[in-house]
Amino acid sequence: MRIIDIIHDANANLLRNKLRSFLTILAIFIGSFSIISTSAIQAGVNDFIDQQVDSYGGDGYLAVVAKDSMDALQGLRGSMGSNSGPIEYNPDKLQTGMSPITDEQIEKLKKVDGIDPDSIVKEQTLNIAYVTSKKTDKKYLIGAEALPPGNIRVELTTGNQLDLRADEYQILLERKYVDALGYTDEDVIGEKIKLVTVDEFTKKEKTFEAKVVGVIAPGVVSMGYSYTNNILADDIYNENMKRYPDEVKNMTYAIAASFDYKNHSASEIKDKLEEIGLSGMTIEDIIGTIKTFFDVILTVFKIFGFIALIAAAIGIINTLFMSVQERTREIGLDKALGMSSVRVFFSFSLEAIMLGFWGSVFGITVSIILGNICNAIFHAEGGFLESFPTFNLVAYTIQDIIAVTALIMVIAFLAGTLPARRAAHKNPIDALRYE
Amino acid sequence: MSKILLSTRSLRKTYGKRNNKFDALRGITIDIHEGETVAIIGKSGSGKSTLMHLLALLDKPSHGEITLDGHPTAKLKSRRLNSIRNKEFGFVFQSFFMNSNDTVLNNVILPLKIAGVGFRERRRRAISALKTVELDDKRNNKANDLSGGQKQRVCIARAIVNNPKVIFADEPTGNLDSATGDKIINLLFRLNKEKGITLIIVTHDQDLANKCDRQINIKDGRIVSDTANDFEPDDDGDDEIREIVGDDDSDDWDDEDAIPENFEGDNNIDGMLDRRRHVKHIDIDEEEDD
Ligand SMILES: Nc1ncnc2c1ncn2[C@@H]1O[C@H](COP(=O)(O)OP(=O)(O)OP(=O)(O)O)[C@@H](O)[C@H]1O
Ligand SMILES: [Mg+2]
Repeated sequence: MRIIDIIHDANANLLRNKLRSFLTILAIFIGSFSIISTSAIQAGVNDFIDQQVDSYGGDGYLAVVAKDSMDALQGLRGSMGSNSGPIEYNPDKLQTGMSPITDEQIEKLKKVDGIDPDSIVKEQTLNIAYVTSKKTDKKYLIGAEALPPGNIRVELTTGNQLDLRADEYQILLERKYVDALGYTDEDVIGEKIKLVTVDEFTKKEKTFEAKVVGVIAPGVVSMGYSYTNNILADDIYNENMKRYPDEVKNMTYAIAASFDYKNHSASEIKDKLEEIGLSGMTIEDIIGTIKTFFDVILTVFKIFGFIALIAAAIGIINTLFMSVQERTREIGLDKALGMSSVRVFFSFSLEAIMLGFWGSVFGITVSIILGNICNAIFHAEGGFLESFPTFNLVAYTIQDIIAVTALIMVIAFLAGTLPARRAAHKNPIDALRYE
Repeated sequence: MSKILLSTRSLRKTYGKRNNKFDALRGITIDIHEGETVAIIGKSGSGKSTLMHLLALLDKPSHGEITLDGHPTAKLKSRRLNSIRNKEFGFVFQSFFMNSNDTVLNNVILPLKIAGVGFRERRRRAISALKTVELDDKRNNKANDLSGGQKQRVCIARAIVNNPKVIFADEPTGNLDSATGDKIINLLFRLNKEKGITLIIVTHDQDLANKCDRQINIKDGRIVSDTANDFEPDDDGDDEIREIVGDDDSDDWDDEDAIPENFEGDNNIDGMLDRRRHVKHIDIDEEEDD
């Protein structure tokens, strides 16, 4: 018997009892819909998190503080996340604030194997009073900092990345300032905006005109910060600190660096930092908790999806048993006319697989349609993702679609083997005699 | 003498288990030669259909052996068995067995479809088989909508569509009027003459039985007589009268008394199909002598 005939017959048999097939497909639909939807949400969240990781200098990003600072942070938080009790006060150590990183430690840090010495940047908190432009009278508060080191690709809605070698002032502007400063995404690139600092004692203002080279897509990691190139950051920092003694001016509390994550594990690097009294945090440490949170929720949904699939599988078994029963005489005739047991088995299995196939196709299609509608609604004005244009809540990958379809077809096949075996083992004469 | 095609040795078939045990066949030994036409006769419930099913390898005997072309069939590979059922044997079942919701054409196509014949070729062959039974005008009708006789003819078309070596026909004229019945009979015998197809026919119709080379009379699962019809004088010795041991009265039926007179309770459905019996037949010898 030819494959095309077997497929044709299987389809015809499914259509023979449309309502029953439809209900079985519906059950599979529910399972496939929930699994593909959770996968899509997971992919959407991961996509977004990856964007954030990229904008933080990729997987090699390392935030370094003095070990004491980290201990202090944990101490204040009642050593959250560990099972030991609160940390005891030690008068020899100032444990309530940030401890500075010494120059000696920075030199040692440069020599740590796996850390790129050129990537080491002292983190400077820039104190900008407000931002304004020639198009508006309004003044706005703004948070900005030098772009962290490493292989950085900030997610932009328009424009280009910073030119780190440029000797003009450049800025990647957070998106919400574009409108406020009287521009649109289209015409803001290349425009100069005014960053103004105020002397703490004299209240004298100083203006830095920075060229907007790109607009930052809002994200969780950038937290609404704008990024400047190093020369602008250095000049603002020096302006902020000009009245402080050099000692204080050069004090470093946090360092950003990048490490060679391909050849060195994060924990290996962290151990080495520990030896020189520093403490490192990778991008995983920073957003790992968010990810874990999403993963837990999505896993729960996936489990529901699988439970639905198991119920659907029982539906397939049931449907096919009925179908075997109804078609007993037909099977007998087929076998009497020389159809092999393997073929009989195969044709029933194929019916099961088709039920699975159609169920998953419908589930996936509906999920994609609904997912895109949701994306559109959430990104529309007033939607809860309005301020995150690059965050697609659902993202469908070809791999996920194929994997879910294949998985469901395999489950359907397995469910079909029981009835298909029964059909295949029928003795032709007994089957023909069946009334 | 042509060679032996099918032979059985002390064939037994027991249905049911324990208390419900029933011996449908109690030791059947026969040899059927290639090209032979064999009538199997006997009362309702005597085991004719059971024997046919065993001979056609559709069922397995409880005891005894069936050989096909000299090879024991018990150990046939299922692949070979299926190919025999599909290509070498054609079977006309006593109660039709069709896919009643399918079209006439698709019913006739079925064996070819199972054989994997291409779409156009199988259609062509099925239509030609339907022409042979004069039903090609009904080919797109639902099988269910046909009359009993028409159904029977569809089944015959299905049995011959694969050009089998042997045709098993369980009451092929059971539902036909004499004229149509004769046409079918003539068709079967023509296939036998022209293509050397072996015919094994279960019948209650004595005229039909008389036309066969040989009549095997079964009673209660045993052969009571196995007689060669003598209208072919050139048959050499071997095929003469082979009366089986005379402990049973072998005049159990004769020409006028082909109707099973009593239906046993457990097979009165089959029995109902045997209703039509007494028909006057045109003298076929005239037609066939050309
Ligand atoms: N599957 C079965 N289970 C139990 N008994 C059976 C089965 N098939 C046949 N029999 C019994 O075996 C006996 C022979 O049946 P079979 O169908 O061979 O008779 P038959 O000679 O063809 O009769 P008929 O002329 O009425 O068709 C009957 O008594 C029948 O009841
Ligand atoms: Mg019978």
